[in-house]
Amino acid sequence: MKKLVLLLLLLLTSLLSAQEKYTISGTIKDVNNGETVFGASVYLKGTTIGVMSNEYGFFSITAPKGTYNLVISYLGYADMDQEIIFEKDQKLIFEISESSTTLNEVVITTSDTELVSIRKPQMSVSKLKIGTIKKMPAVLGEIDVLKSIQMLPGVTNSGEGTSGFNVRGGAADQNLVLLDEAIIYNTSHLFGFFSVFNADAIKDIKLYKGGIPARFGGRVSSVLDIRQKDGNSKDFNLTGGLGIISSRLTAEGPILKKKGAFLIAGRGSYAHLFMKASEDLKDDSAYFYDLNLKSNYEINENNKLYLSGYYGRDYFKLSKIVENNYGNLSGNLRWNHVFNDKLFSNLSLIYSKYDYQVILDFVKLDWVAEIKNSNIKYDLKYYVNDKFKLDFGLSGIDYKFNPGEVKPTAPDSPINYLKLDQKKAFEGGAYVSAEHNLTSNLTVQYGLRYSIFTRLGGQSLTNYLNEKPVVYNNELGIYEEGVEIDETDYKKSETIKTFDNFEPRLSLSYQLNKTSSVKVGYTKSTQYIHLLSNTTSATPLDVWAPSGKFIQPQSSNQYALGYFKNIKNKMYSLETEVYYKTTDNRIDYIDGANLIGNNNIETEILNGESKSYGLELLLRKNKGKFTGWFAYTLSKSEQRTLGGVAGGSGINNGDWYNTAYDRTHDFSLTGVYKYNDKWTFSSNFIFQTGRPVTYPNAQYQYEGISIASYSERNANRLPAYHRVDISATYTPNKKPNNRWKGEWVFGIYNLYNRKNAASISFAQNTDTGINEATRTAIFGIIPSITYNFKF
Amino acid sequence: MKIHIKYILLTLSILFISCNDVIDLDVPNATPKLVIEASLDWEKGTLGNEQVIKLSNTKPYFDAATSDIVTGASVKVTNDDNGTEFLFIDQNNGKYTTSNFIPILNQSYTLQVIYNNETYSAQETLMPVSDIINIEQSYEGGFDDEVLDVSIYFQDPAEEDNFYLVRFKEVGDVFAELEDISDEFINGNLIDTWFEKEDDDDTNEEPFIPGDIVNIDLHGISQRYHNYIRLLIEQSNSGGDPFSAVPAALRGNCINKINPDNYALGYFRLTEVTKVSYTFQ
Repeated sequence: MKKLVLLLLLLLTSLLSAQEKYTISGTIKDVNNGETVFGASVYLKGTTIGVMSNEYGFFSITAPKGTYNLVISYLGYADMDQEIIFEKDQKLIFEISESSTTLNEVVITTSDTELVSIRKPQMSVSKLKIGTIKKMPAVLGEIDVLKSIQMLPGVTNSGEGTSGFNVRGGAADQNLVLLDEAIIYNTSHLFGFFSVFNADAIKDIKLYKGGIPARFGGRVSSVLDIRQKDGNSKDFNLTGGLGIISSRLTAEGPILKKKGAFLIAGRGSYAHLFMKASEDLKDDSAYFYDLNLKSNYEINENNKLYLSGYYGRDYFKLSKIVENNYGNLSGNLRWNHVFNDKLFSNLSLIYSKYDYQVILDFVKLDWVAEIKNSNIKYDLKYYVNDKFKLDFGLSGIDYKFNPGEVKPTAPDSPINYLKLDQKKAFEGGAYVSAEHNLTSNLTVQYGLRYSIFTRLGGQSLTNYLNEKPVVYNNELGIYEEGVEIDETDYKKSETIKTFDNFEPRLSLSYQLNKTSSVKVGYTKSTQYIHLLSNTTSATPLDVWAPSGKFIQPQSSNQYALGYFKNIKNKMYSLETEVYYKTTDNRIDYIDGANLIGNNNIETEILNGESKSYGLELLLRKNKGKFTGWFAYTLSKSEQRTLGGVAGGSGINNGDWYNTAYDRTHDFSLTGVYKYNDKWTFSSNFIFQTGRPVTYPNAQYQYEGISIASYSERNANRLPAYHRVDISATYTPNKKPNNRWKGEWVFGIYNLYNRKNAASISFAQNTDTGINEATRTAIFGIIPSITYNFKF
Repeated sequence: MKIHIKYILLTLSILFISCNDVIDLDVPNATPKLVIEASLDWEKGTLGNEQVIKLSNTKPYFDAATSDIVTGASVKVTNDDNGTEFLFIDQNNGKYTTSNFIPILNQSYTLQVIYNNETYSAQETLMPVSDIINIEQSYEGGFDDEVLDVSIYFQDPAEEDNFYLVRFKEVGDVFAELEDISDEFINGNLIDTWFEKEDDDDTNEEPFIPGDIVNIDLHGISQRYHNYIRLLIEQSNSGGDPFSAVPAALRGNCINKINPDNYALGYFRLTEVTKVSYTFQ
């Protein structure tokens, strides 16, 4: 109690300090293209007063009357240092310029950004500038946002050619992926070979692995916040790239007398055109495309509108057998309003949809499924004073789930029409969060999020004997579907079930000295929607399900502790963190669960729990001809599912077992060497402990076939995964008056052609009858060449 | 009706650029467990009196694929209603046979196996099956329209949930191909299913040609056995690929009441079966 009083006292003193103070507010932009800059630090030299520009480039800084040197610094940009007299409130626009203006060129150079990040309580965040990503070697020359974040500590995926990514031992569906605030349900093209994010349309990405700010909610593992570029408001230009597999083109420029700007980016693959030339594959097809749209319009200095959109599609066909297409669609209309020099607001109207279709010709079946949501969000930021900033807001998401509709495609189809129950739900959120400089060394960020989730009626639900959808058969030692007794019909006006939760968030940073700090963080978060998948890795055909009568919301607690240091005048930086995370109500699937086309998923699942913990280390070299980083993660991720009301000891005998995303060691090294103005070389090396899998431990004959007998789940591991990639970028001499700038990127993925096992399958050799282990390796050595241009 | 959409689709999808090779691998080794293959199948139009039950032990995964046979067990099946007992005689080759079995549709039976002082038991009902009403060859069925396939047709009863096991085997083949069918999406319909062989250099598989003979068995099975055989087929076809379900121990219906952890693998099934043989024209 005493501590609380002290805290309140501190809060009050900071709010009520009586000195004469003035506020400078405004926007930070890039001088070349007018893009607003997110995350630039604005501070007054020689003081501890400083802020970061927000997502829309807005900042507000308050200081006692006097003359200061106002410095704006941002990674890869030249520092701006300007003398400013604080004697009245002012609105200013600052334009900063990149330290190097070569195409796609962002050498990670000195930046005083780190000064503030040492101070800021925000931890467990990975930020990559698109310029850095573009410098890293990429498979088939296609720059990939998701593959690059996997080079950072704490982030992995289920292997090559699989969708999604895993953060700190969490599942892929526990990541909230936002593209301009719209939820993206599937992040992969071509079953995971590429991500759905076109690097040319993206401004920056931020991954919150923990310490998730209170303004985000709805997922328990991480938030990947991806922001599209606003569009060039200075002049018109085209950017593009030609690659072996895919090409892209982006057009951007000012509109409406430079009061606004637009950006349209398109990308497509054309590997299927080569298939047409092959006799074997001529009826097959596999391609993707996507479109990004962004435009903004400045009504006046206090009001700005943004419109963004995304549409991506994958199409896949295997001659007469199967046709499949899937993709995301999203749109967002935003209104930025500055109430006064201290109060900034944004209202967003967002729509997202993910759907897929499967047509099976040989059984004359057409299958569609989708999830869609409309979302309204209102966020405010109040720069109370130089020691206290307040974020608060509201959001509401309306979900509609169509888990599947099966139609016969011909009159002689053996298939009956089937529509699984449509589901509806509403998720509401309200939050308030403060960033508070308690002393010159101690900064605290504390917040509270309140979330509410209502499963709406308009469907019927099965009732089970003894209210057990899953029953343990004691005699046979297996879990089986419960006995259906009847159904309850819920009217559209009724609610089936409501959940609500308070989710406190706390981070604290204590600055040890000018170059180092210690941070601690705690995050509680709740997840109300779940991706149903009992396969090793998420697939595009997995279905989302809302919490309700049978499925409980997932709830996680994460604790993190970190040490951050800048070394040798920021030549190097070191970030280390340890974390411990527990998640309740993690869905687990009974042995042999049948999820496809199942209207009563509750008969296949049990509620379990998971926990993960680890140590992360990131050492970056930020300056010089050679830049890069070394990342290492030592971690453990496990889950356990007890029988609960269903009875029995639980899945895997109720013992803890490794999740599919447990990686004991994860090591990566990324380096970029700028040899001269023409040549830049880069390379990366990755080493990971193999993915947990289940190997057979015996065989027996049944029906004349050798049957494998399996034991505990995920008790074995694939061989370790490792590879080296290299790339070289050649920029020809620029002609001074030529607007055209081009560069060649030559790359080799998996240089020593390591056959990394994506999976190992077990079967009998059809000739000898002897059992064999067959390794599937996705990418061997792959050379690539890409030409990028800007006009 | 092959409804394993996900597996077909995703397994094939990665074939575009993936490569497969056989590797040496160390796998764990479990202590041997008893396996009971008690498949009492009553072929339509026969007496069904001749029945065989096979007993074996599990063995290390990469050993030669022959049964590690079990002899010296005592095996009997009992009709649960009238108590008639059918003793199966040890042939000392892993097979236990009887010539006196009396099959009755929808009748429940109990199996008892005593081996090494452990008693295993299982209970199952003899499930009826529809007739195969048509069998024909074509190019249009199956995945590939350029190779021959053979289809069978049978009528699913609309008034109940039905489950089937189909066993296709070309004369001369080492293995049969098994397919499990549930009428979940096709209740009451005329069901057709086909058997086709692809031209595959990796497995030396060749498409059917005129003169090839295929034996097709259609079994009516219980829902619980369907769950078992579905998982068995899934695991033997796609065990370990990233889009398959996490493989699990296959628990059948042969339990050990005194020492539950020492259950037996395999299954005690009772089915009615309709068999056809087809020669490609």
